[in-house]
Amino acid sequence: MVCNDNVLKVDNLDFSYEENHKKTLSNINFSVSRGKFLGIIGPNGSGKTTLLKIISGILKPSQGKITVFGKELADLSIEKIAQFTSVVPQETSVIFDFKVKEVVFMGRLPFISRINGETIEDYEISREAMERAKCLSLAEKNIHEISGGEKQRVFIAKALAQTPQLLLLDEFTSHLDINYKHEVVKFFKKVLENDKIIIVSAFHDLNLASILSNRLILLNEGKIEKIGTPQEVINEDIFEKVYGTRPTIINHPTLHIPQVII
Amino acid sequence: MKFCNKLILTIAFLLLILSSLLSFSFAEASNYPLTIIDDTGSAITIPEEPQRIISTAPSNTEILFSLGLENKIVGVTNYCNYPEKANNVEKIGEMTPLNLEKIASLKPDLILGYGLYQLGEIAPLKEAGYNIIIIEPMTINETLKSIRMVATICGITEKGNSLVESLTQRINKIKTKTSNIDISKRPKIFIGGIYETIWTPGEGTLFNELITLAGGRNIAASLPGWAKISPEFVAKEEPEIIIIPIGAMGQVDESNIKENISKHAGWSNIPAIKSGKIFVVNEDLFYRAGPRLIDGLEKLYEIFYE
Amino acid sequence: MNKSSKEIAGYTNWRKKLILTIIWGSFSIVVINFICLNFGVVSVHPKEIFSLLWGSSHDKTNSLIIWQLRFPRIIMATLTGIALSTVGGAFQGILRNPLADPYILGVSAGAALGACTAIFLQYATGYFLTPYLPLFALTGAMLSIYLVYMTAKVRYRLPLEGLLLSGVTVTFLFSAIITILIALSEKGLHSMVFWLMGDLSTANWNKITIVTFPVIVGCLIFFFFSLDLNALSLGEEEALHLGVNIKKLRLRIFIIGSIIIASVVSFTGLIGFVGLVVPHIARLLVGPDHRVMLPTSALLGAIFLPLCDTLARTIIAPSEIPIGAITALIGAPVFIHLLRRKSTKNGL
Repeated sequence: MVCNDNVLKVDNLDFSYEENHKKTLSNINFSVSRGKFLGIIGPNGSGKTTLLKIISGILKPSQGKITVFGKELADLSIEKIAQFTSVVPQETSVIFDFKVKEVVFMGRLPFISRINGETIEDYEISREAMERAKCLSLAEKNIHEISGGEKQRVFIAKALAQTPQLLLLDEFTSHLDINYKHEVVKFFKKVLENDKIIIVSAFHDLNLASILSNRLILLNEGKIEKIGTPQEVINEDIFEKVYGTRPTIINHPTLHIPQVII
Repeated sequence: MKFCNKLILTIAFLLLILSSLLSFSFAEASNYPLTIIDDTGSAITIPEEPQRIISTAPSNTEILFSLGLENKIVGVTNYCNYPEKANNVEKIGEMTPLNLEKIASLKPDLILGYGLYQLGEIAPLKEAGYNIIIIEPMTINETLKSIRMVATICGITEKGNSLVESLTQRINKIKTKTSNIDISKRPKIFIGGIYETIWTPGEGTLFNELITLAGGRNIAASLPGWAKISPEFVAKEEPEIIIIPIGAMGQVDESNIKENISKHAGWSNIPAIKSGKIFVVNEDLFYRAGPRLIDGLEKLYEIFYE
Repeated sequence: MNKSSKEIAGYTNWRKKLILTIIWGSFSIVVINFICLNFGVVSVHPKEIFSLLWGSSHDKTNSLIIWQLRFPRIIMATLTGIALSTVGGAFQGILRNPLADPYILGVSAGAALGACTAIFLQYATGYFLTPYLPLFALTGAMLSIYLVYMTAKVRYRLPLEGLLLSGVTVTFLFSAIITILIALSEKGLHSMVFWLMGDLSTANWNKITIVTFPVIVGCLIFFFFSLDLNALSLGEEEALHLGVNIKKLRLRIFIIGSIIIASVVSFTGLIGFVGLVVPHIARLLVGPDHRVMLPTSALLGAIFLPLCDTLARTIIAPSEIPIGAITALIGAPVFIHLLRRKSTKNGL
């Protein structure tokens, strides 16, 4: 029995961008508990990013209910939502030459009173986030003068500085080198362990999704094709149906998790 | 036969007189073709006495009317409002851009233009063979010269001369009156406007020349052309008379204008404001390079000394 | 090595920067203003200026000139500089566009249309409308604010592109009408063009009392939006994820900024480049954090415009160069220089 306070629950979610348009998402139902990592995979255009946007509160569903830690998302203002949900985006375009440490610090915005200003604690949190995301050495650099991979770490740090209960990631692995992918796995396992938060991530990289996620949702044209453990979801038949080609799936030699090989 | 001979002789004699009379008038008319150089430096040849004249500036219209050529004017601009009769002449539209089609449609044999800028605009008509004279008098003397030139072009040199004569007489009258006045006794004049941003005529402008001739001292006399000045300058110069030139406006608004000027910030110590010597005048008398400049001159003298 | 958490974590010491900026800024304003007071058509010795300000001089004309003409002109230049620079910086932030200036959202075109209409009507009807010119301009400005707002509303939102596009469209529309007015009014042409060029010589204390409140209060309000503008610099969605209510922010900055600009432009005409360039100079000096950058912009503008105006009225004294020409002549090279610095930094 899952306690409501520790759960992200999505009920009967439908979404279309315009009325009477084709539905981008239909009949989405799932829940995920604290300390768990939920991965969302699916072909391009299947609705992964849209689903994330709805969970983050910036898009409103056409139908259905989203409950986060016992509260209905529809009842909350974005200021409130920002106090427990943070997002690492796929792409960023920063205007003006902010320093890395300033960008990370912006993660504290939902907690800073406009009148009293920030506190020492805000700086502590910010610094810790940079340490954990391994971008402390970049603190004084101009955000535009670092590589794509470094930027990714900065935005992860910022998302952590926001002390989220729910962390959303949108295909964050696009800029990472292979050595960092290993680091990333360790990193998020640690985050889950320490912070006991919920992580929901959209993935392009099926194998990383398989390694990181406790459960996977496979989206196909806006509907949930399959939801379950990686073993249940990463399956030749299901994949052939969704992706149109039959993949070869093997078991990872050490981790014993299904991996897709072309 | 004798009677026949007498008749033939009489007729021949009459014919002789007639032909000499005719040749006399044709001798007069054989002024044409004439060539003159206009203010743009081009030599224009007028083949015969113009009968259909178009004026592209109010000042030109006034010159033409003052020379008695009203019956020959077939087109004037929208702004040609003096004399009254000018309002009845067909309108060719704006001074710029010139409506070349309209001008051509009136089949002019002389186009009296104004200003170098019109020279550029009217080039197509020039190429098409129309007779175009452009004048741009910048001083009173040049205006008088232009009047003479227009008169000559139109075959009425005498009329032109006599007009210029009478205008010159009036000028001289003013000149003698003012020649005795010491420089320091001449009133300081400020030519203002109806807007808060101040543009005032300085050296080289007709207005400035008129002020000086009429025995005044334009506070902006040393500034070239039309100058933008600050209210500070006006306050510093302490003019004794302020002149506001306006277009035709109702009586009501004259007092508004005067009141507005007298309340201007920082000007309360100016003699003109303290004495209330603020005069609103018809700007056409000072901006149009035509015979009415002399009216303007007389008006100024009146304001300065009477 | 022994850096405190504060320093490492992003404590850019913004409060210290801000206080320093305010101190040197205010000091500079007072000094610059005084220096500007010394220049003008009338040469008044600095000592005399002091005695004039303190009321102990007996020269009535000079006293009038300094008190009623020069001083208000400098104050107006200061206020206008503050308004243009702050709103320019804020608009650059809210539109996420470094090329934005305070006129981009249409207010100035509305004010210009109002003023040109007044000039046109003055010649067309013969009524003396000059004293009401600022009122016409203000009305035009309000009209354009309304139009931009209405056309940018999409399902009760004010999306970024919508606001920018509306502003640009309204500007084009009004400019077209102004062009027609200029073409139709041969006599009014000069006055319209010169109004558009901007002019500070028409300043007086009455106008300053009208302009001061919207400018000072408006800019102070803007400073409170600094953190939100910082967040918006990361991206629209980013800002939403950080809890910034973009719709409200956009609306507020648009309305307040437009009111500030409308109040100033109605009296001074369109003075260009200040609102575009000064915020960039501020960013160069103190960084892009809006908490410091906006006040710095304000202070820089407060110094820049009076200096430009002093140049405009002394170089060919007693004639004046239109203020817009001076700000452009100085602003354009500075802007080009800034752009080149940026591209060499980025290795382009």
